[in-house]
Amino acid sequence: MTGFLYKKTAVAGVGYRQYPRGTADMPERGVLVRAIIDACDDAGFDPADIDGFVSYGDDHNEPVRLMSDLGTKELNLSTQVWGGGGGGIAGTFQLAASAIVTGQAKAVVIFRALVEGNSGRLAEAVMAHHLNDHMVGAGMVAPAQICAMRAQRMFEYHGVPQSTCEELVRASYYHGSRNPDAVAYGKDLDIDNYRTSRWIAEPFRLFDCSRENDGAGALLMVSSDVAKDLAKNPVKLLSAAQGAEKGWGDLLENDDPDLYATTGFRAIRQRLFAQAGLTPADIDVVQLYENFSAQGVASLIDHGFCTYENVAEFVRFENLIAPNGKLPVNTSGGNFAHGFVHGIICAVEAIRQLRGESANPVPDAKTCLLAGGPGSPTISSAIFGVD
Amino acid sequence: MAETATAPIGAEGRYWEALREGHLELPQCAGCGRWHWPAVFRCGECGSWQHDWKKQPLVGTVFSWTRTHHPFGGTESIEKPFTSVLVTLDAVPVRLIGILRPTGGNVAIGDHLEGQVATMKFRGRDLPAIRWSKSL
Repeated sequence: MTGFLYKKTAVAGVGYRQYPRGTADMPERGVLVRAIIDACDDAGFDPADIDGFVSYGDDHNEPVRLMSDLGTKELNLSTQVWGGGGGGIAGTFQLAASAIVTGQAKAVVIFRALVEGNSGRLAEAVMAHHLNDHMVGAGMVAPAQICAMRAQRMFEYHGVPQSTCEELVRASYYHGSRNPDAVAYGKDLDIDNYRTSRWIAEPFRLFDCSRENDGAGALLMVSSDVAKDLAKNPVKLLSAAQGAEKGWGDLLENDDPDLYATTGFRAIRQRLFAQAGLTPADIDVVQLYENFSAQGVASLIDHGFCTYENVAEFVRFENLIAPNGKLPVNTSGGNFAHGFVHGIICAVEAIRQLRGESANPVPDAKTCLLAGGPGSPTISSAIFGVD
Repeated sequence: MAETATAPIGAEGRYWEALREGHLELPQCAGCGRWHWPAVFRCGECGSWQHDWKKQPLVGTVFSWTRTHHPFGGTESIEKPFTSVLVTLDAVPVRLIGILRPTGGNVAIGDHLEGQVATMKFRGRDLPAIRWSKSL
């Protein structure tokens, strides 16, 4: 039996603006307003009729401050998902859909904006959320280091081959190099360069890490009834889940031994798929939030696409690329190769892919899983579909 | 109340006091005997608000590690590269993090380590921290 939110709401419009760090043509809120207007133009929807906003990751743009720019008539929902990292990204759809289905809001914008001059470096902001004297006493001051330590356990103890990371990074860059909007457009990943690039925190080298961009993304969500009369083919939310399980969370690296090297998604996997009435085998394409390569691989394992035992067989370049891979992943280039504005491109690309607008289309794709920020204390994922 | 260099303190005030005195103390639930780390105010298993802080030896095995090469802001006082270790204590089911001596040394999961309490600088403040080295 599918869940209460199944197909009741849809994303009707998307907007995304991205700039190399430090080159945005407006301050952060201006870039965000631009992305929201883009999403409304995409949908053929009057921005003044937006009445709800949901964000994640400690976004600084309080929705009430957007009202004058958008002409907002009434603000009925204004909230975000807890957590400093990208773990809450897909939970935003759960909140927006819950509000729409229960009549508390009619048109909700999901957004994330990040322009360095205004909000500082993302890595520092995420870490500031988690920093404590225990961590700094061990020199652990960046998300890269914490994820590196967990990745090391996954490789050294659980036996996941490190080569899987290379396969995933190659697939992201393959898609990015074919996407005119991506930072990697026109550039093939030099594999020797990947293998010999400077160490950040072992086992991560430079290209195992996503690098930050300035920008903003916005997705307009309405009821499926409203969406069918708007400009674009509605992409329906099939399910979304957020949370954490006992033995996982903000525990000073004291997560349960079996969970430590995971990215936390086992807590929501059952709910996520059951509410969509699907299994991992039914998913046509994945937009995989990868802050770091190993966490991307671990996220695929957690979601049930593969296991510690067969991960090397599954996470292979050929399997991960559009149009014909078994499970194309990050078809815009993802955080690695499209650009990183706290992962919001993953959500935007999920919609574009299911509408047939991706630079790397997957023929007849009907379902797309958005895997949220991996390894965050609170994590979330969502599944979208088209009829 | 113990002073911190970063986030507000939780239930682990005694931990910092003990480290400043040169040793490790960890909290055990007086109701059910469970070791909670990070420290809690209330035991979610038995409901007790009583926790006894008990001295523990700084010996354990490596659960995981990373060697940091990038000069992240906040690591200015640490020579690069440096190896951070996550250590499962031998005596109680608790993991602690710290920096390996010698700085940047090699280590593997399962290696046996001994710890010492040291002082480090973070953004101009002195902070007690554990430094681990391989057992002889």
